[in-house]
Amino acid sequence: MELSSEDNNLTEKVLPPIEQESDVELETTVKKYLRGEGADLETLKDKKLKTQLASREKLYGKSAKTAAKIEKWLLPAEAGYLETDGLEKTWRVKQTDIANEVDLLSSRNQYDIVLPDFGPYKLDFTASGRHMIAGGRKGHLALVDMMSMNLIKEIQVKETVRDVAFLHNEQFFAAAQKKYAYIYGRDGTELHCLKERGPVSRLRFLKNHFLLASVNKSGQLHYQDVTYGGMVASIRTGKGRTDVMEVNPYNGVVALGHTGGTVTMWKPTSQAPLVQMQCHPGPVSSVAFHPNGHLMATSGKERKLKIWDLRKFEEVQTIHGFHAKTLSFSQKGLLAAGTGSFVQILGDSSGGSSSHNYSRYMNHSMVKGYQIEKLMFRPYEDVIGIGHSMGWSSILIPGSGEPNFDSWVANPFETSKQRREKEVHLLLDKLPPETIMLDPSKIGAMKPSRRKEKQSREEIEAEKEVAIEAAKSTELKKKTKGRNKPSKRTKKKKEMVENAKRTFPEQGHNNTASKKRRIGEDAAAELPASLKRFARKN
Amino acid sequence: MGEKRRSTSKTLGKNKRRKGPHLPNSILKTIANEKRPLNSDEEDDEIDSDDAIVDLYEYEEGVPEEESRKNNRYDPVVNYNYELPEDFEDENVESDDDDEGGNSDNEEGEGDDVVRHTRMLQAVTGMPSAAFDGESKRKPVLFTEAYPESEFNPTRDVLEGKGLLTIDELMAPIEGKPGFNELEKRISRMQKDAQAVVHAPLPKPERERLERKAVKGLVDKEFNKWVHMVKRNREAPTVYFNQNVSLGYSTVGAIASEFQPRTDFEKKMASVLNDNELGEAHDEDGAKLLELNEVSVEDQIKYRDHIAKMRSLLFRHELKSKRIKKIKSKTYHRLKGKDLKKSAMGALMDPEMAKEEAMKQEARRVEERMTLKHKNTGKWAKRMISRGLNVKYDGTRAAISEQLQINATLSRKMNSTNDGSSSDESDDEEELNDGSDQDTPSKLIAKAREKTLKTVEDDEVPNSGLLSLPFMARAMKKKNEEAIEGGKRALEEYEEWENSGGEENPKKTAVVSGRRVFGATAKVEAPKESRKDSDNFYDNSDSDNDTEGIENNDLGAVRDTASPARNTGAITETEKFDDDVENPASKTTFDVALFASGSWKKMKGCQNAETKKKLKKHVPYSKGQDKKESRDDESEDSESEAEEMVDGILTSASKETYEIPSQAELIQRAFAGDDVVDEFEKEKQEVLNQEVPEPEKPVLVPGWGQWTNIQKKRGLPSWMVREHEDAKKKRTLDLKTRKDARLRHVIISEKVDKKVEKLHTTTLPFPYTSKEVFEHSMRMPIGPEFNPATIVGSLNRPEVVKRAGVIIKPLKFEEANPNEKVDDEHPRSNQKQNPKKGGKTGKGQSKGKSKQKTKA
Repeated sequence: MELSSEDNNLTEKVLPPIEQESDVELETTVKKYLRGEGADLETLKDKKLKTQLASREKLYGKSAKTAAKIEKWLLPAEAGYLETDGLEKTWRVKQTDIANEVDLLSSRNQYDIVLPDFGPYKLDFTASGRHMIAGGRKGHLALVDMMSMNLIKEIQVKETVRDVAFLHNEQFFAAAQKKYAYIYGRDGTELHCLKERGPVSRLRFLKNHFLLASVNKSGQLHYQDVTYGGMVASIRTGKGRTDVMEVNPYNGVVALGHTGGTVTMWKPTSQAPLVQMQCHPGPVSSVAFHPNGHLMATSGKERKLKIWDLRKFEEVQTIHGFHAKTLSFSQKGLLAAGTGSFVQILGDSSGGSSSHNYSRYMNHSMVKGYQIEKLMFRPYEDVIGIGHSMGWSSILIPGSGEPNFDSWVANPFETSKQRREKEVHLLLDKLPPETIMLDPSKIGAMKPSRRKEKQSREEIEAEKEVAIEAAKSTELKKKTKGRNKPSKRTKKKKEMVENAKRTFPEQGHNNTASKKRRIGEDAAAELPASLKRFARKN
Repeated sequence: MGEKRRSTSKTLGKNKRRKGPHLPNSILKTIANEKRPLNSDEEDDEIDSDDAIVDLYEYEEGVPEEESRKNNRYDPVVNYNYELPEDFEDENVESDDDDEGGNSDNEEGEGDDVVRHTRMLQAVTGMPSAAFDGESKRKPVLFTEAYPESEFNPTRDVLEGKGLLTIDELMAPIEGKPGFNELEKRISRMQKDAQAVVHAPLPKPERERLERKAVKGLVDKEFNKWVHMVKRNREAPTVYFNQNVSLGYSTVGAIASEFQPRTDFEKKMASVLNDNELGEAHDEDGAKLLELNEVSVEDQIKYRDHIAKMRSLLFRHELKSKRIKKIKSKTYHRLKGKDLKKSAMGALMDPEMAKEEAMKQEARRVEERMTLKHKNTGKWAKRMISRGLNVKYDGTRAAISEQLQINATLSRKMNSTNDGSSSDESDDEEELNDGSDQDTPSKLIAKAREKTLKTVEDDEVPNSGLLSLPFMARAMKKKNEEAIEGGKRALEEYEEWENSGGEENPKKTAVVSGRRVFGATAKVEAPKESRKDSDNFYDNSDSDNDTEGIENNDLGAVRDTASPARNTGAITETEKFDDDVENPASKTTFDVALFASGSWKKMKGCQNAETKKKLKKHVPYSKGQDKKESRDDESEDSESEAEEMVDGILTSASKETYEIPSQAELIQRAFAGDDVVDEFEKEKQEVLNQEVPEPEKPVLVPGWGQWTNIQKKRGLPSWMVREHEDAKKKRTLDLKTRKDARLRHVIISEKVDKKVEKLHTTTLPFPYTSKEVFEHSMRMPIGPEFNPATIVGSLNRPEVVKRAGVIIKPLKFEEANPNEKVDDEHPRSNQKQNPKKGGKTGKGQSKGKSKQKTKA
């Protein structure tokens, strides 16, 4: 109680009269935190429920308002972006120009690491962006602390490495190697060999569900729970080999790009794809998801890049003449596309409205001959990591990363104690695999009404009740000549009720009767012959 | 039946008696009947005391009991059938009024009518007209009294109220007697009072209704006082019961201070404890008493010395034991143990005694050996075992096992003496079993040879039984021969080993530890082959490097056998990469996508050099277009990777860059986009058919409805066709309502996932009545991850906040301002504790309250 009263005081005090004007500004953020409209309470007849819901709604409003205020006043940093004036274009700004402007700490994020021997590198960052794992095609695995640029561990597995992925934190990472996928510990020790999957071509980790998803060379999609090691699902996609795989961070749905130009979306609890989309006439070369889960970018071999709205499954935008081998969305919604030795960053110029309009934001050309293998924005930093045939590089993309991290979600400055604590919390909050669905906000809602296949007994009972009630409450006509006597009326009413009952078939009684009979028979069968005649007959 | 009749007859009898004066005839008859004897034999047993009355009942049978309306045992039957409402008018009957209105000469007509009417009746009944004349007029009725007039049988006029008694009449006889005046006064007063009209009391239901009304008003008033409180509590999101709670005493001291002596003993104790005199006395003398307790210096010094000595002893002992404890020598401990034993024995008794003791022990041992007394051979033990009591009862079992224990301890000495002779043999055998002893291989071999020889030599065939049958014998012979051969081979080997002597021994140990195998040549071959196989398996994709790989591998294996196999494999792998770079002529496999069929085919065996040449041809075309386009490696062979890598290096080194699309990619591009869209549409159709199946076509059962031509011509019955049409319509409707109905390029599965169903509610949770409201109220997460920390508490507060141990008291009335708003931020307590009796606690509480207020 004391707590709430204090809250009240706080909210009261935080709002000086001058700030009333800025409320309009807050409105939008409040709306964001309200997560939709409240119910229309006027339609409710139950007064108690009405008042309860109203007070609840008030609390929600207060929560949203506080959150909006916190966002406005307390979040320290704002996302930066490139600003140009006059005829200057943002995409003409070179990395060298940026390096001259930014502070020393940021300029340290521009570098090339040349490792020509172990061939194109795949990258993966942890959720906090603190650690990076780089997997060279020819078996070089390197775990790097990006904050201090320390190489934590480097191992040579002497096998083809097709993909790498972090598990829930930097303590574990998985590598798809020539024959099997392996899980390694932070210090490079091999912890598990995942033989069931076959030769894996792509690995992705579903953070909230603790599932390691992989697609292998024969086009089989596997989901393995890394907490207990059980194979949750193994699905034959039936679409042939693919190495385009991405996870929708919003709902955990896995998308695969196929050579037929289709993108299929999967969940572990069904063998059939949730959605199949014909995105391109040719093979799909890469797929990426916006962090809010509403946008998907695909690129096809026919030199087109398309952006899709996943709520309507409609194409929002097509960008011609550009074929991306790898795509990546940043936390703030910038889209990076890599081809050859050329990186292009597209930005949403519509300014957050519902109509998306991605256009050129920045360019970057690598040294000629470097083949880009993988692009990935580093979370909570304005940095993109580029894995290519000659090692990996890192460049600055202003305005790409979320400036304020939430230590509930991911903490780049995590101590080991915090990490341990977090791990336990993550495990406790682990979602079961069936919660992966296209619209996870539907969880907990009423079951979607399907065509009535067969009524359950309760439903039939309820209907019967209703019919009987209706029969009882019918007003009888006022009859004359002794037919209006109460005795006659009651008789009539009884008859009507009986009729109403009769329309519903008797439920279950027959069953129980037959069961009873069966039981009696059994008893008779078990008894010795001399005692059989005493067995109770039903 | 009988009973019922009896009861009815009883009531009838009562009736009789009550209306006695009105029915003198019937009474006479009953009196007459009483004298009459019983007429029916059957009813004899049923009727005992009320015989006569029963008879009376029978006599009056014609009167239905129900109609008499005297018997409360029957439900009053309202005679609805014949009751007509007051305002009822039968339309068919013409009323007199009508007639009057119609006729002008009504009086004459009336008189006429009467005359006519009587005449008609006369004609019908044949009775004289006088009988009908009297209908309208009353005739004086003559009553004859059947019994003597008395106070018990009042006359008729008395009953009818003509000769009513008055109070004056009653008073007349006592006039003039003492107390008369007083009585008269009272009566006159009463009469005066009676002049005020007393209304008849209201009917009971009405009275009660009024009463209820009044009560309701009162109760409503009383209850309405509570309404606002109840309402507030109902609407409050949280009800608090944790305020203004003082738990009374906080310390033991507080409890003790309130202690009041109750029992005699306690009172006595209290009187002694609180006695001032005693206290004073102690204060005065206590100090003196202490002073008297003097200790001499010598005693003190002695005591101190003693303590110091003991301490030093303890310390030394501790040191010593520490040192001893550190000693790790086994022999020392063994000797020490022996010493301890000896010293214990010696310390306990002198040598003679020890000898005696030993003798006794020996005797007991001997006795044990002779009698086997403790080997469960005793009478009792046998009996117990034979009856199975040892299993049944824990006690007996324990006793028996104890006996065995004693036996074991007593006979142990014997064994230990025997050990000396037999230990060698057993040791030998053990060593044989171990086979690890380095010194006795020759012995081992000899033993083995002996055994094999034995088995070789004794090949006697049994003469009888199953094994003597001819085929069995043959089989046995064969087996034996094989065995003998094997034995001989083994013997040879043994001999060889014996000859080679100690040199071979380490090798043998190597065999035991097991990775490398020397010896039989066949065994050496096997692992090599298996390795080859495994290698093949590994290198499936790059097929023709296999042999090289194997060679490398073997070489590697030979080179460093100590390193694990995978390591070497990996090394050769890297070597292979190098080989690829050097070897342009190596073969490659390509994965080729044939989009038309949607299936993959593997093509094998193109010469790499050729493909490269082909690629070079393509270069000029792709030079301009694909400059920036990266090469895709859809087919991920290690070969192509290696090439790519080589490309990368080369291109990075050289200035001009252009990608050479691989063969696979070229083919992919060539076939891509053929009819992908068509295929997708086909697939969509399939999925739709699967999820919303097409209705089956109506088919007639052969032989049914096809007897005649007419039937055949008519075709399918109309209901079938209709049903089919309906199903089709339903399907189209279903297809239209699908989410992907308007999206040509999308298939959205609408299969119901049963596992997901448990995440939805099937019914609305209790207070909710509409789905929309429920789902809207569900939209906000209330966890700490999604809400500011300041709000989380109030979002998740339980409906009732109550501290453990707090007694929830019933609601207390409090005046409330009706305009006051319910504010959950300032919850009011529903708990009003009574102020404490003690003044101190009351004060404390009030202080606490004021503090709280200031806080809030």
